[in-house]
Amino acid sequence: MSTRTTTPERTGPPGAEAARTPEHSRPSGRGTTFRETMLGRIRLDGEDRDRPVRLDLHAAADRVPHPLGTTPARLTGRIRIAGWVDDPEAVGTLEISPLARRRIRYRIGFTADGHRFTLDGWKSISPRRPLASMTVLPYTLYEDGTAVGTGTVRFPLATQLLPFLAGFRFPRREDGTPLVAPRWNGTPGRTEVWYTTATDPATGTGLWLHHELVAPADGSPPFAHGWAAAFPQDGPVRHTRFGPTPWTRPAEGFRGDGVQAVPGQLSGNAGEFSWRLAEQPTDAPLYTFPRWSWRRPLLPAAQVLPAARARYTGTFAYQDTTLTLDGAPGASARIYGHGNAHRWAWLHADLGDDGVLEIVAAVSTRPGLRRLPPLVFLRLRHRGRTWPRRAERTAVGWAGLGRFRADVGLPSWTVTGRAGLRRIRVEVTQPAERTLALDYADPDGSPAVCRNSERADAHILLERWWGKWRTEAVWTLDGTAHAEVGGR
Amino acid sequence: MSPDTPRSAFCGAATRLRAPHTRGSLDGLVAALLADDGATPWPGRVPRRLETVLAAMPLPARAGVRTAAAALDAYALATTGRRLTALGPAERERLLDSLGARSALLPLLDVLKVPVLLAAGTERMLDHGGHRPGTALPRQDPPLDCTPADAWPARTTTDAVVIGSGAGGAMAARTLARFGLRVVVLEEGHHHSTDSFGKRTPLDRFTELYRDGGATVAVGNPPLLLPVGRAVGGTTVVNSGTCYRTPDHVLDRWRRTFGFELADRFDTALDEAEKTVRVATQPVEVLGNNGLLALIGAERLGWQASPLRRNAPGCKGSCQCVVGCPTGAKQSVQLSVLPDACAHGARIVTGARVRRILVERDRPGGPRAAGVQVRREDGDTFEILAPLVVVAAGALETPPLLRRSGLGGHPMLGRNLSVHPATSVAGRFDQPVTAWEGVLQSVGVEEHHSDGILIEATATPPGMGSFVLPGLGGELRRELETSDRLATFGAMIADRPSGRVLGRNRTLLRYGLDRRDADRLVRAVRAMGELLLAAGAEEVLTGIPATPRVHSLTELDAAMAKVSARQLHLSAFHPTGTAAAGADPQATPADPAGRLRGVRGVLVADGSVLPSCPEVNPQLSIMAAALAVCEAHLEGVETAVAVSGGVE
Repeated sequence: MSTRTTTPERTGPPGAEAARTPEHSRPSGRGTTFRETMLGRIRLDGEDRDRPVRLDLHAAADRVPHPLGTTPARLTGRIRIAGWVDDPEAVGTLEISPLARRRIRYRIGFTADGHRFTLDGWKSISPRRPLASMTVLPYTLYEDGTAVGTGTVRFPLATQLLPFLAGFRFPRREDGTPLVAPRWNGTPGRTEVWYTTATDPATGTGLWLHHELVAPADGSPPFAHGWAAAFPQDGPVRHTRFGPTPWTRPAEGFRGDGVQAVPGQLSGNAGEFSWRLAEQPTDAPLYTFPRWSWRRPLLPAAQVLPAARARYTGTFAYQDTTLTLDGAPGASARIYGHGNAHRWAWLHADLGDDGVLEIVAAVSTRPGLRRLPPLVFLRLRHRGRTWPRRAERTAVGWAGLGRFRADVGLPSWTVTGRAGLRRIRVEVTQPAERTLALDYADPDGSPAVCRNSERADAHILLERWWGKWRTEAVWTLDGTAHAEVGGR
Repeated sequence: MSPDTPRSAFCGAATRLRAPHTRGSLDGLVAALLADDGATPWPGRVPRRLETVLAAMPLPARAGVRTAAAALDAYALATTGRRLTALGPAERERLLDSLGARSALLPLLDVLKVPVLLAAGTERMLDHGGHRPGTALPRQDPPLDCTPADAWPARTTTDAVVIGSGAGGAMAARTLARFGLRVVVLEEGHHHSTDSFGKRTPLDRFTELYRDGGATVAVGNPPLLLPVGRAVGGTTVVNSGTCYRTPDHVLDRWRRTFGFELADRFDTALDEAEKTVRVATQPVEVLGNNGLLALIGAERLGWQASPLRRNAPGCKGSCQCVVGCPTGAKQSVQLSVLPDACAHGARIVTGARVRRILVERDRPGGPRAAGVQVRREDGDTFEILAPLVVVAAGALETPPLLRRSGLGGHPMLGRNLSVHPATSVAGRFDQPVTAWEGVLQSVGVEEHHSDGILIEATATPPGMGSFVLPGLGGELRRELETSDRLATFGAMIADRPSGRVLGRNRTLLRYGLDRRDADRLVRAVRAMGELLLAAGAEEVLTGIPATPRVHSLTELDAAMAKVSARQLHLSAFHPTGTAAAGADPQATPADPAGRLRGVRGVLVADGSVLPSCPEVNPQLSIMAAALAVCEAHLEGVETAVAVSGGVE
């Protein structure tokens, strides 16, 4: 044991304390993000002159800063030291505690000349000099725990105050795990679905696992069933069903007939299929339908993604093929409601580092409503923000005006719409040879047919108004989109 | 008088600018008190020297002396029509006689005499060639890692901060550094090398090395002078070097009465402290006449006495311990403990006054120390973050520091102050004693130690007589001229904790002498007088204004029968107990292991953690306490690591 590591609370590397802080791990309603730029100077040991320094930082906290408490946050950003460093990958921690500890502490790690350095300093808040003490950050620069320079950076109030204040965001922070737990409360005539789709980047094979609880409308005992399907690049679509089996009311997710879908794990054997996958969420939950509709099931059905994106690692075997997945992209989703829609279309498009697009366009089975055009729920999570801000916006617009439109058909269907200064056009193609048609049954026994492809194509055009419509982003998914069109 | 000499011109230049209007009064005061008739040059230089002494003192003391000087001048003007400087020697003498006849004024005049005698002693010594600076050092100081506060970065982190570099702070720093922690020691004073001690007069060093120029006073009846050191090494730089182990009966009391569980560790901790500062019995050869007279007196009386155990191997008998040993023989902690700490990575920041301990109050589990905010001499501040803060600022500074850090909530913080009050007695012999040639504190007479009275033969550095000589004017001058025939003894009494440290930003001391302790002091004066007479003194200077001289035991007894301790000149050097450790949460601000209550991460490791007066010179006790506190803390850390599975 190293003696140096035996101090009870040794000053650790960036991130260590934030990770230790109990509140860090506690889920909270909203987080905080903001950007801060500071300018100043540094004097490196052995040099006789100061060098200009610029810090462009992005801070993200898991909760809204409490004025009387301490809020840990993560720092990312860019550090520039004239003639020496320009590292756009600087990372570190921020400890925001203006009153409780009278300190706002920055610890930023960066790389220079192949060596790792840490800038460690804090603003020491003084009620006597609130402005100066909130804007001046003296610091020491360390290399492997040894001080190699000192300096001070300042927040330039004149030029940065407004952008700083305007840049504050309080994104909702949620843990998706509770969303995986079963919702069904014993009411007859309900269906509940856990489904997972993924694409194996190595083989291009699309995967589909569907787990469903059905509580028949006639009050007969609930049962669980589902299917697994593989969409190989060089062969026909394969699938198998499991169940039905009595529903045993598991607490954490779906279990039945040797198949389970619980937080972090998917496994099962069905026919010639067997799979054992670990699920690693890489994004926050995404409510495709309005959030309230998941909490209070007032709509005929609602869909939610406990994690907008996830990575899957493990094995997936069918027939004589065994896929070994290593961080395959995909997502799991949940549906709870009265049954399937009258007509529907669904798209999950993983946009890589840019984000994710989720679309559900559906026509209700209810009399009267089934005559309406499809209600479009489109959620684009792009650069950390979800557009449009409200899920209702795409479905109903402003009293019907400006709602998003879907033209549902096969093999192609489209969704278009405009909200705020952005507009989007999504074209989805589900070639017949890559599509699997399956029969569905509602809790009341009504049949439906779904045509699903986990190797669909999608073309997404995002434009922004700036005097004219200018292209903001274009994504083309060639066989990696997950889509489905259903009808009766 | 030689006002044109470069040295005196230098001394006077700054002070003339500072207070030109009071110089006349000070000139008059000095001329009157020292009966300056112009026959010798040195009394003429005393006012300037007095100015430098006053400049180092706190404002109240400075203002008091100046006011008294101005009042004396005004009295002269009122009674003679002329100021003191315009009067002749005889007229000044008559004026002082008329004042000296008023017994109520005598204590006041005694206080006024102290700085004047200090300045006069130094100037007289210089005139008589008593100071020989610049002799080659027998050894070099071991290296220290000292950084001035203005060169220390504004933001740093470390594993442990130690506030204070005295006996407690140095031992704490060494213990933690040896364990492997990164340690920063913060010291308000500066580093003074042995070499620098040899180049300046004792009085110059005195004003630099002591807080408030040595004029720290505890308010009370009687008031009490309580000088404490302020330098790298703390008071150990300026103490006498006497090293007593904590007596067993004191440790027993701490254990039983206060639940001070660290007392169990003292045996080994004291061994370690003694070994570190190389404690040994002082050889008789360098004791000097002052100590030898104490031994002779004790032998004739059949009292128990012996050369003291000191931390000064190879002591040359310079008699300058209390202003910094000029030969480096005395192993004060900046020569013994701190170099070892620095060798293990500890760093010392000088000129750094801790403004407050940073406390994180929103920590799960309660408030926790996070570091310190420190003020540089230019008023700027810097901060050091550390999860462990060791407070070793001394018994007088620790309570105010904790208060201004928001940690002063315990009702007993600052109370329970014991000071080990001391008084001194001088004996005049028919032959020159030259007490300042030999060991400053040389012989301990423990005959009355069981009664709480410890007598130590204690001289003063050359030119720095601390004993308040009797008389005014010509009489005082004669005493000064014949001070080489004086032997001085001091006695300290084990006192009840009857003092209190007040204040947040500045220490204010109150000390009310307990009735029992007052009796002990009177008995101590009598015992010292008896010892001096037994040693052959012609007369004993009691320091009591009403009966300043006695010539026999009978006269001494008669004088003692009438005297009260409130008439004695008291001083104290061993403040303890203001943040005492003990088992009772209501009675002790620190827990039995020396951890400050109400906050985590703060250890108390100085004289303030001792539960009561240690009844001996406390350097070893403080070092042992600091060692025990830190070791107990580190053992706790190791246990916690072991329980949690270890950290690699």
